[in-house]
Amino acid sequence: MAGLAKPAAENAGVGGGGRSPRFAVNPFLAAGVVLALLLAVLVVPPLLFLIEGSFTGPAAEGRGTVFTTHHFARLLAERRLVESATNSAIFAVGSAAVALFFGGLLAWIVERTNTPWRGLAYLTAIISLGTPYVLYVGAWLFLLGKAGPVNTLWRDLTGDGGVLINVYSVTGMTLVEGFLWSPLVFLLMGATLRNANPEFEEAARMSGASVWDTLRRITFRLAMPAVLALALLVFIRALEAFEVPALVGLPGGVNVLTTDIFLDLQTQVPPDMGHASAFSVVLLAVVAVLLYFYGRLSKSAERFSTITGKGFRPRPFDLGHGRWITAAILMVNFLILLVAPTLVLVWASLLPFYQTFRIAALKLLTLDNYRAVFDAPYYLELVGNTLLVAAITSVVVMALTLVSGWLAARNRRGAWLLDQLATFPLVFPGIVLGVAVMQLFLRVPVPVYGTVWILIWAFVIRYLPYGMRYSYSGLLQIHRELEEAAGVAGASAVTTLRRIVMPLLAPSLVAGGLFVFLLAARVLSLPILLAGPSSQTMAVAMYDLWTNGQGTELAALGLLWTALMTVIAGAFYLFARRSATGPFGNG
Amino acid sequence: MSGTLRFSAFSVALLAVAALAARPLAAADAALIAAAKKEGEVVWYTTLIVNQLVRPLAAAFEKKYGVKVRFARANSTQTALKVLTEAKAGKVQCDVFDGTNTAEVLRKDDLVLKWLPPAAKNYPAHLVDPDGYWIATNVYVLTPAYNKSLIKPGSQPKTYADLLDPGWRGQMTWNGSTSTSGGPGFIGSVLKSMGEARGMDYLRKLAAQKLVNRSASARKVLDQVVSGENAIALQIFNHHAVISANKGAPVDWIPMEPATVVLQVASVARAAPRPNAGKLLLDYMVSDEGQRLFQKANYLPANPKIPAKTPALKPEAGGFKAIYMSPKEVDRDMPRWKKIFDDLFR
Repeated sequence: MAGLAKPAAENAGVGGGGRSPRFAVNPFLAAGVVLALLLAVLVVPPLLFLIEGSFTGPAAEGRGTVFTTHHFARLLAERRLVESATNSAIFAVGSAAVALFFGGLLAWIVERTNTPWRGLAYLTAIISLGTPYVLYVGAWLFLLGKAGPVNTLWRDLTGDGGVLINVYSVTGMTLVEGFLWSPLVFLLMGATLRNANPEFEEAARMSGASVWDTLRRITFRLAMPAVLALALLVFIRALEAFEVPALVGLPGGVNVLTTDIFLDLQTQVPPDMGHASAFSVVLLAVVAVLLYFYGRLSKSAERFSTITGKGFRPRPFDLGHGRWITAAILMVNFLILLVAPTLVLVWASLLPFYQTFRIAALKLLTLDNYRAVFDAPYYLELVGNTLLVAAITSVVVMALTLVSGWLAARNRRGAWLLDQLATFPLVFPGIVLGVAVMQLFLRVPVPVYGTVWILIWAFVIRYLPYGMRYSYSGLLQIHRELEEAAGVAGASAVTTLRRIVMPLLAPSLVAGGLFVFLLAARVLSLPILLAGPSSQTMAVAMYDLWTNGQGTELAALGLLWTALMTVIAGAFYLFARRSATGPFGNG
Repeated sequence: MSGTLRFSAFSVALLAVAALAARPLAAADAALIAAAKKEGEVVWYTTLIVNQLVRPLAAAFEKKYGVKVRFARANSTQTALKVLTEAKAGKVQCDVFDGTNTAEVLRKDDLVLKWLPPAAKNYPAHLVDPDGYWIATNVYVLTPAYNKSLIKPGSQPKTYADLLDPGWRGQMTWNGSTSTSGGPGFIGSVLKSMGEARGMDYLRKLAAQKLVNRSASARKVLDQVVSGENAIALQIFNHHAVISANKGAPVDWIPMEPATVVLQVASVARAAPRPNAGKLLLDYMVSDEGQRLFQKANYLPANPKIPAKTPALKPEAGGFKAIYMSPKEVDRDMPRWKKIFDDLFR
């Protein structure tokens, strides 16, 4: 990532070989300007309209609107803001801790030891990539609810009338969100550990340090910046989380910032857009500050995990007989994170209404839910809609970030602006972006509200940063000599892009495209505000099924959908391993 | 003319007039059907439960008229919000919507079509909007329900005062969203039947019972009782309890006096993209055939000619007192009930 900008030399390279350039305009500059405009049009208006909406209130008499700080004043005066913010913070810290514990432990076991059955961890991660959060949360509510197997077993064993776990509490929310994030933490930590510089560990081992000592004094210390960065990332994501607070927190009376925004828009007529916008701006500011610190932590983390080019990876520890203990840990993790939720979903999908597992309940088993799913043409339409929206989003994002990433990675003039624009949407929590895009299209007279186009617009904005990460990292691995050679041979910029860059970048592009596809197929916080009857996505339909009392049908639909998505997630994982980036970028 | 001849002439004339009068009605129906078929599909924003009634009704309508039905289910407030936001964005997408007070809410923004199907003439006055904006499709009776495995039948709470018993603390759940079939609706019912002072006093005592709020439909709230997650549900639809019990669920409803009776009303959207298809669907919902589907699904049909499958669900036949809340009343007082709910029960 050395910033050696040599504009004059590039131009000479492109136009060299005795041929003068056909156009007076530098094609890179032209592309840069066009892209900057495109990205700016996508990324900036939602922010502006959101801020404008938070300062707009109805005029005192008659119609029209007026500038007002009333929304912020009311927000700061409500005790609800403090309560929700506290809940959000506790929830976020707790989930980060749980996810880091499960994911980190697993990552070390899988990447750095010779434990058998390592594939189980990858299987869990792949399946979780394709599972909509609503389904996963629903499964845990079935499992840990008062009528679920855990509490029922407790009641049977102790004769106590109460519960061991009340899942509808901050504790329950933290646990479920932590489980939700463990597979991703596993993948990210795994990449860090895999790419770490092995020299220090080798030195420690040669000096006779035990496994535990090496782990404690070398591995852990070296990985600490990456772990902290990861902890901060999960913390930020948990602050923005929507599914767990909506499905677990609301019934338990635990309000967090994201559900407060959602309730502002869904529980009164007319919706309190001003208040929701003010809330959103506050949440956005907090996330922006945290992301700034995350950026700095990330950079310092990268110092310890650059690809050394020495061509070897850290040697896995031989745990001897101890590896059966770690294998047991792997198995327990697999059972908790994947098998238990799947089994309870299968059980629920075969019931007409959810009942705890009892021999007596076996006579209620029926295939009605599956029949309902297959009979209703609605579900097939949903699958089509969701796949279409996700696919278009994926293609658009990768196309935009391919060119932006290329310009940025080659340090063209103004590339910094492109990089900033493309990664800016990270600052929007999902539901806030939904509010912002809604505000945007309520003012701008383009009738896309409720159609797939508003969804695609919002999704592209949201997933630009992810696409950028894959393109940019992938491009850094391709040395510019190859492009310069093409230039010397007389190729234009477009030809170089088409015949040199894209083929080499293909694994990263496909991995990034598939990743964006998977994310877009399962996101809920955007379509829940923006989708209309003809543009429903699977995630919204699942949420509706849950809140409308069709939980058993949700189980049937969810299992079938996850099976489909797992195939796609598997393909993603294969490409990601081959690409320069690895799942989720360089460490 | 002789008396007999005059009488015959009179009868013939009467029959002719009757025939002529009947023909325009049939012609309107045929014209409407043709126009609806040309539109091809109808979008229905409903608050009815999908796998209990919406699917069978949509399938029957599609089979009869060949017009595809696309539906989206949400509660009354969310349905109203959707239509409002779509109208603001310049593109209303639904043709027909229903709910307990959706029509009254949307009327203020001129989003309801003033049109009643011909069957409205045969409906009692209180089931049809005097201004012509909505017609009732079915009646809801809201009562508590309990899980028979957790509470021995016989020891369930039977009166409002029973609900204040400390033994029920933490055991009750209800729908926390802005709806008559939930906390706010319960509050309205209490205030109307007990009066302001006694009602508020009762509600404050009830707040100490730590009810579990769920922002989900009353159907979902009842499901939590069915699965044993909670023991008692308040302000749910008593016909839902019967539907579940028929499937083998250990649940029963409590005819606590006074129950709340509200109407489910439906209307055509004023800026509907497919108005004829919308009118045809509304017409079907209140026709004899449509109402019989309501009856079959164990709902309480509004049409006086079609009785409910379980007559005891209705106050008159079931022998329990109920207070009736009209859509206008609900629309007028709901904001206040919601505020009391937020203050006391959140």
